[in-house]
Amino acid sequence: MTVDFRTEALMQKHLADARINVELETEGMVLNLGPQHPATHGTLRVVVKLDGERVVSADPVIGYMHRGYEKLTEFRTYPQITTLINRIDWLSSFANEVPFIHAAEALMGVEAPPRAEYIRTILTELSRIATFVLFLGEMALQVGAITPAFYGFRDREHVLNLIEAATGGRFHPNFNRIGGLKIDLPSGWIDDCRRVMKKIFDSVDEFEELVVGNEIFEVRTRGVGVIPPGVGAGYGVSGSNLRASGVDWDLRRDGQPYLVYRDLDWKVWTHPDGDSFARYWVRMQETRESARMVVQMLDGLPAGPVMAKVPRIIKVPEGEVWINTENPLGEMGYYLFSKGATGPFRCKIRSASFSNVSILPWLLKGVYVPDIITILASLYFILGDIDR
Amino acid sequence: MGLVDKGKVPKPLTWLLNYSRKYSLWMFQWGLACCAIEMGAALASPRYDMMRLGVIPFPASPRQADLLCVSGTVTDKMAPAVRRLYDQMPDPKYVISMGSCANCGGPYWDSYSVTKGIDQVIPVDVYVPGCPPRPEALLEGVVLLQQRIQNEDPAERWRGEPIVVGG
Amino acid sequence: MTDAEDIPIVEPEPEPEPEPMPETAARLLAQLEKELKDGIIEAAHTFGDLVVRVAPEAWRKAAEVARDKLECDYLSFVSGIDWMPAPKVGGDEAGGDTSAPVQPTETTYGVAGSDGRFQVFARVQSTTRHHGLTLKVDVDEAAFSLSSWVPVYPGADWHERETWEMFGIDFDGHPGMRHLYLPAEFEGHPLRKDFPLLSREIKPWPGLVDVEPMPGEEPSEEGGTGQGGGGE
Repeated sequence: MTVDFRTEALMQKHLADARINVELETEGMVLNLGPQHPATHGTLRVVVKLDGERVVSADPVIGYMHRGYEKLTEFRTYPQITTLINRIDWLSSFANEVPFIHAAEALMGVEAPPRAEYIRTILTELSRIATFVLFLGEMALQVGAITPAFYGFRDREHVLNLIEAATGGRFHPNFNRIGGLKIDLPSGWIDDCRRVMKKIFDSVDEFEELVVGNEIFEVRTRGVGVIPPGVGAGYGVSGSNLRASGVDWDLRRDGQPYLVYRDLDWKVWTHPDGDSFARYWVRMQETRESARMVVQMLDGLPAGPVMAKVPRIIKVPEGEVWINTENPLGEMGYYLFSKGATGPFRCKIRSASFSNVSILPWLLKGVYVPDIITILASLYFILGDIDR
Repeated sequence: MGLVDKGKVPKPLTWLLNYSRKYSLWMFQWGLACCAIEMGAALASPRYDMMRLGVIPFPASPRQADLLCVSGTVTDKMAPAVRRLYDQMPDPKYVISMGSCANCGGPYWDSYSVTKGIDQVIPVDVYVPGCPPRPEALLEGVVLLQQRIQNEDPAERWRGEPIVVGG
Repeated sequence: MTDAEDIPIVEPEPEPEPEPMPETAARLLAQLEKELKDGIIEAAHTFGDLVVRVAPEAWRKAAEVARDKLECDYLSFVSGIDWMPAPKVGGDEAGGDTSAPVQPTETTYGVAGSDGRFQVFARVQSTTRHHGLTLKVDVDEAAFSLSSWVPVYPGADWHERETWEMFGIDFDGHPGMRHLYLPAEFEGHPLRKDFPLLSREIKPWPGLVDVEPMPGEEPSEEGGTGQGGGGE
């Protein structure tokens, strides 16, 4: 058969390409993601060995944000530590203080007045909303949509305004004191809060339409990074990540009672799939649930003082206690050893993201390179929480 | 250019060069910790928009950036990476140290793994205090840097003479 | 003149009864004792939680029992503690300086006691039964190693690396012990009580130092004690 010279040239080119592919040896490549990388939420470095586009093994290298919290707590007094631990999970700072303050109060036998507990719960849920709203925007950004990221930052500003009006700091409020809170809420805050919650409901609806209903998002996230519940619990994965694998476990309802969650009417959201889409969906529902909880608490806020009587210099009696709470990122706990001094003897900080990230070597095997980014975004860790 | 080299740039041209340089900074934001969120709020949030000052974020690589903004705690493990990326930036480059951790070690001044300030590793032009500084504080830091760029003599910088603050 | 009958007789206060163990803790302890028998050295409870000190040889077995028989499928953490008294670090509370805590100088051990200076403690919880317990084990200072929990709880991998890095305790059977947080060249194990924080040794807490004088002024003579009020 004769062909014209153009087709002949094309055939020759294809044959040449085929020869190259057969003759070239390919070896695995080592790709280094981070520590400075737009998608790793901070200074996480993941060293992946690739075979083509598939990951053969992944090794996260952490420690680029290790500030030595556990050693520092041994050299600081209790009020000084409250300032410091805000900065472990730096997006939802108020929630980090709560388990530590509860641990110190348990050892001292001090109970915060009911109004203080309500306000603490409100601020914790506001921190949760602030973190999750940013997550909803940021995960969409990692998957490729830029607009939700701006929406996330914008909506977070509303909640940060509220937190600033009550505590004086946009994040890192350092508002808890052993025995209660620093001062009471300003006037007009409750109405502002109700208005902002309405905005949050609208904003989550917007995210649902924009992101969850989007075909591309579904294709990129469904079936990606499935964590089976048994494996997840063995690694210590907690929070929304585990609930997205179908495990019905929420420390606000199932752990030792803390704050006022037992008085409220709320629901724990789970999803059976365990993939990245499930993690996004669960967090979205939890944002709505937190907003509903805040509205309930605003309606039922008791009057009274916000600070119990505690001595001026705080000395916590000898003992040890473990308090863990459901923080936005997962289970956060403090094992506090005290010897009666003005500062703890040892304070073990159990942070959620440390365990969430420890599953990465197992989870990333056999995954495509773009899916690494999706998985990292859906696990939602904060570097300060990993490295402390 | 030969003019800059020999220090013979006429004043109006210097003024024009500096004016155009200060309003076209490409910021390589090195967001490490909590200050990165405030920096993100300053850059990406519509409220404290930094792009109206001429500073645009997200260069494709450090080799295209003019301004490095170190925000957050610098640990001893991370410091060599900061140095390496600073060296990869082409001159003239500026550094803003944002937040007390980057200024002096901050609340972790006594930690065994924290570098007490990024100025131990790279030279800093503007320090923005705060923990974290509000986005407006970062904007003020950028404005101060712009004033400094306006009053700079590119010939001296080219020759590598020390930068004199003032004026 | 005092009358003998007027002096009230004060009886010594009876020793407070130790609080009874809560029901969940007692049930867990009973199951553990059945499986481990001699492995348990001491058990106690603190604020509703069960704390059990096991023998070093029974460390791995305790994990297996917790996971299989007690249905504790979730590993919270594994970490260590150094019971040596903390060195004095400045801060003189009698003088009003509350900048750094002054810890007691006698060595005391916590709940469920300890045999020596180092202990490893771990917390496991159950996602189905909503209970949990803390397991403690003494670390022999000569051998300084324990068996690893990685075959039982895969998440123990990183926790054991962290414990080794911070205290120096080795774990047998760990797949690849290396630094987790600190750079590879770091010397020393930071969370041991004899690892000093050099910044605090060189210079005290800044709140103690006088306010920096303005250029041209003389530094004031008095020494301030915090609150920054020493100057002018």
